[in-house]
Amino acid sequence: MDSKRRGFLKSAAMAAAGSMVLGEGEFSLPVLGAADAPSDGDELTWSKAPCRFCGTGCHLQVGVHEGRVVAVAGDKAAEVNKGLLCVKGYHVGGILYGADRLTKPLLRKDGGLVEIEWDEAIDIIAQRIMDAPEKFAFYGSGQWTIPEGYAAQKLMKGGLSNNHIDPNARLCMASAVTGFLATYGVDEPAGCYDDLDACDVLITWGNNPAEMHPILFSRVTDRRSRGENVRIIDISTRRTRTTDAANDYLEMAPHGDVAIALGIMNQLIASGTYDKDFVEKHCAFRTLESETPTLQGEAISEDEFRKRIAAYTPERVEELSGVPADQIRMLGKLFGDRNLRITSLWCMGMNQHTMGTAVNSLVHGVHLLSGHFGRPGDAPTSLTGQPSACGTVREVGTLAHALPGGRVVANPDHRAQCEGFWNLPAGRISSTPGYHTVKMFDQFTKSADEGGDIDTLFVQVTNPGQTLPNLNKLFNDKEKLNDKFLIVSEVYPTATTQLADLILPAALWVEKNGIYGNSERRTQQWFKLVDPPGEARDDTWMTIAIAHRLLELGHEGMKDKDGEFIFSVKDEQGEDIPIWEFEHYYDTNVDKHLFEEYRQFTTMKHKNLAPYDEYVKARGLRWPVVQQDDGSWRETRFRFAGFDDPFVAEGEEFDFYHSTSGDGRAQVWFHDYQPPPEVPDEEFPMWLCTGRVLEHWHTGTMTRRLPQLNRAMPTAYVEMNLQDALAQNIRQGETVVIESRRGTTQLPVWIDGRGRPPRGTIFVPFFDETKLINNCTLDDHDPFSKQPDYKKCAVRVRKLSEASS
Amino acid sequence: MSEPAKPVRRGRLTSLFLFSVLAVSVIGYLVGLSDGVPAPDGVSRRSPTDVAQTSAADASGKVVPAVNYAEIPATPMGPTDAYQAKPVALSDQPAYDLFKQIEPSEADKLDSSRIRSSRRAYNGAPPIIPHAVENTSDAACYACHGGGIRLDGMKASVMSHAYLANCVQCHSPPPPTPFQDVPHEVDNGFVGLAAPQAGKRAYPGAPPTIPHSQWMRESCNACHGGPNGWAGMESTHPWRTNCTQCHAPSAALDQAIPAKAIPMLPPLDVAVN
Repeated sequence: MDSKRRGFLKSAAMAAAGSMVLGEGEFSLPVLGAADAPSDGDELTWSKAPCRFCGTGCHLQVGVHEGRVVAVAGDKAAEVNKGLLCVKGYHVGGILYGADRLTKPLLRKDGGLVEIEWDEAIDIIAQRIMDAPEKFAFYGSGQWTIPEGYAAQKLMKGGLSNNHIDPNARLCMASAVTGFLATYGVDEPAGCYDDLDACDVLITWGNNPAEMHPILFSRVTDRRSRGENVRIIDISTRRTRTTDAANDYLEMAPHGDVAIALGIMNQLIASGTYDKDFVEKHCAFRTLESETPTLQGEAISEDEFRKRIAAYTPERVEELSGVPADQIRMLGKLFGDRNLRITSLWCMGMNQHTMGTAVNSLVHGVHLLSGHFGRPGDAPTSLTGQPSACGTVREVGTLAHALPGGRVVANPDHRAQCEGFWNLPAGRISSTPGYHTVKMFDQFTKSADEGGDIDTLFVQVTNPGQTLPNLNKLFNDKEKLNDKFLIVSEVYPTATTQLADLILPAALWVEKNGIYGNSERRTQQWFKLVDPPGEARDDTWMTIAIAHRLLELGHEGMKDKDGEFIFSVKDEQGEDIPIWEFEHYYDTNVDKHLFEEYRQFTTMKHKNLAPYDEYVKARGLRWPVVQQDDGSWRETRFRFAGFDDPFVAEGEEFDFYHSTSGDGRAQVWFHDYQPPPEVPDEEFPMWLCTGRVLEHWHTGTMTRRLPQLNRAMPTAYVEMNLQDALAQNIRQGETVVIESRRGTTQLPVWIDGRGRPPRGTIFVPFFDETKLINNCTLDDHDPFSKQPDYKKCAVRVRKLSEASS
Repeated sequence: MSEPAKPVRRGRLTSLFLFSVLAVSVIGYLVGLSDGVPAPDGVSRRSPTDVAQTSAADASGKVVPAVNYAEIPATPMGPTDAYQAKPVALSDQPAYDLFKQIEPSEADKLDSSRIRSSRRAYNGAPPIIPHAVENTSDAACYACHGGGIRLDGMKASVMSHAYLANCVQCHSPPPPTPFQDVPHEVDNGFVGLAAPQAGKRAYPGAPPTIPHSQWMRESCNACHGGPNGWAGMESTHPWRTNCTQCHAPSAALDQAIPAKAIPMLPPLDVAVN
């Protein structure tokens, strides 16, 4: 028996013996290991990899023994987490070993699922695309690795001339993107996590980093433990663990953030404490056009800005936001003090917002107007929820309107550049933006007779059956439509695979090579460390295999202008390596080939990336990464700031070199407050807010298979204020029905639980696939980013007995 | 000649004594106040959200709620009296004898290892919280785990790492009280790295090397000695405090430098006749 085979049998036996079936607080683990188990961690192979979960981008050391992940440690060399992890990161190794991993392609036949071979699966997909290439859509993810997203992008826009590709990140950070574009003309934060080590004041805008980005939050609170003073101001619609650590808690009404930002700017202007020098040199003022508003808006004079902002007095802001006028004055005074360093953090609260673009722009505006920008500790910083929402979605541009490197399909020069890089015939890329997420699913779940012109949808690395808003409208209708074909690449059965016609088993995390890009512009690489189970395969391979099958079927788009396969990789003799056959996929490093090709796209928007091999050596590098005279590669911590950004000319203090006004200035926006699209009324009297908890990540398909995490949070729940519960005679733990105009779901009540909502508000986390709160949420979205608002809609809570009667 | 002075001195001593009694009681009263001794009627009658609506956020974060009797079993009630007390103030802390003869037994070691590993996904994972918690604030955790405590047959381990904020960020708690009975069994085949049995010795009698990383286990006493050690893992010589003087750590496990990459000069170039 060869050693590999023996190793496999042994680990299988170990797995069987040590299977962690969790009972009443008891784990059965191999306490002291079998005699031949490693006696200490020295015998493991330790390798670096970024965490699989959120956008923080912690680095881990992953311990592998005989082909299985057996341990994880925080990577001490990683600047992001400095050796620390959160409870999800420490247990991430277990996500590979859930008992119900998908290991074989499954096809739905007569209502049931049957196992098929990969060859047949690829055939079916290629044939459906061949039959109607324009009716095919690709729904991807901020959890796509950069090469996965890049391959999908190239297949769709460069190969099929089809722009119907959009990611789940549309639901997650699209408004952050439009906020950055409107303000700076180019996406992604100017600052980085180093700001957290330098700030005197941290403001969390509708954000609960103590649970959602714990590593970043404890980076601040640990400074306090060391004796430093950091004032934390929590602006929120409910009390959370972040509030527990905050010095000030400002409870706002939903949409109050817009008014608060306007109020701060009002105070800066009224008291003359705004940074006149910074504004004069580096800012311009802007607002929406009164007719047909655009993302770019129109310029206004400073006087005009002053006139409009004058209406947002602290008293008016108090009316709109519920935050007392004194507190608005306090914030105004704080921003007026240039001796302080102020960092703002936000995530879904400001992004999942029908005024998402506006509120993002306004908070940038507060920092620009006050000059709290570009010094370490002075930063408006938007956080992301997915590990590569920045890297794969925003930078590779896997959105319906975008092309790699900050380009857009509507711009003929951009299309020509991409056709050049991809060596495609001119005119291959279509100029019409494809369907954004909400529209894509609307078209997919509508019958062809009603104009539903998407009939084949390929979903990779995400779970729209649980995360789309208003599921009854946007997803569940698929069940009745037999001519619609849903292909899902997944690692476990999910709410999405429930309706899938073809399920493809996917490799996960360190079962494949990968590259992620985190919230602070840091690009991070890892190598495959263990084999995927059964016949699970890489998502990049799936895309390339489909493309090659289309080539065999005669699809002209799969060839470049010299007749070569668009994903061709040559060996040293100039022969094609058949990477579309999985046996040969790892004959070369496909990630490296794709990344080196993609790297050419990144210089136009000054998001320069280093060669692949530099990332192998580093714990990630923050772009722009620029080569120095001595040949080394230098990352950038603070963009647009002369002291650090290599693209700001020598001697300049700041340069917003992608300014939309073309003069190196950032835009300070004015937006009028608008009320939310749906507000509580007599029929539906409560606000519903949705979100996450520390222990579970997004739809919980990975974390809910980890005993330690599932023990800590075994079910979704509805957080209720005690007075609201008393008024309806609802007891702690009782199951109630949540109803909106769009749907219902049942949840147990947690009165004054981990979060404490005020009267009239309930909160529900969305991780639990058995209690889908997105049956109730709203699909109304921001006009520019098309990102839906999951944070506020009107619902009612009813006792089970009342609802069923 | 000195006789008459005596009563005066006695009087002075008396007033000094009275003054210090007064001073101690005033200081004691003030210290008591600042320590958060509850007012006579104990707790606030308002719910936390009521408090939230009328007062600014309390920096300590937790407000003890007053709820209906019916709500009591299911409501997190904040620190108990035992939590609030300083461990040193509690009676029956077993006396610790630094020089007691330690005779580690295999059975004790096995028991301790079993308990320890029942709380960890793998050796090196942060342990889960094995007991019910009503309050997950750092102060509540630190009250017992800062210095370690033995109470009523139970043992609160002392933290093995430096103070870090947000304890539940790494140590996952049991289910929230209202959801204690929700089934949470999971079928997962992850097999964690087992705890090492012993370090390597160069020869019998040599001090063993440290078989685990020192990262997050900077305080050796947390497991190996002092009043908070684990039976069977205790050091036989707890009075020696410079552990790494004799026990070599692992550079690889401490992520210092990969053991296989230790740079050395090339071998001597010795001509062969």
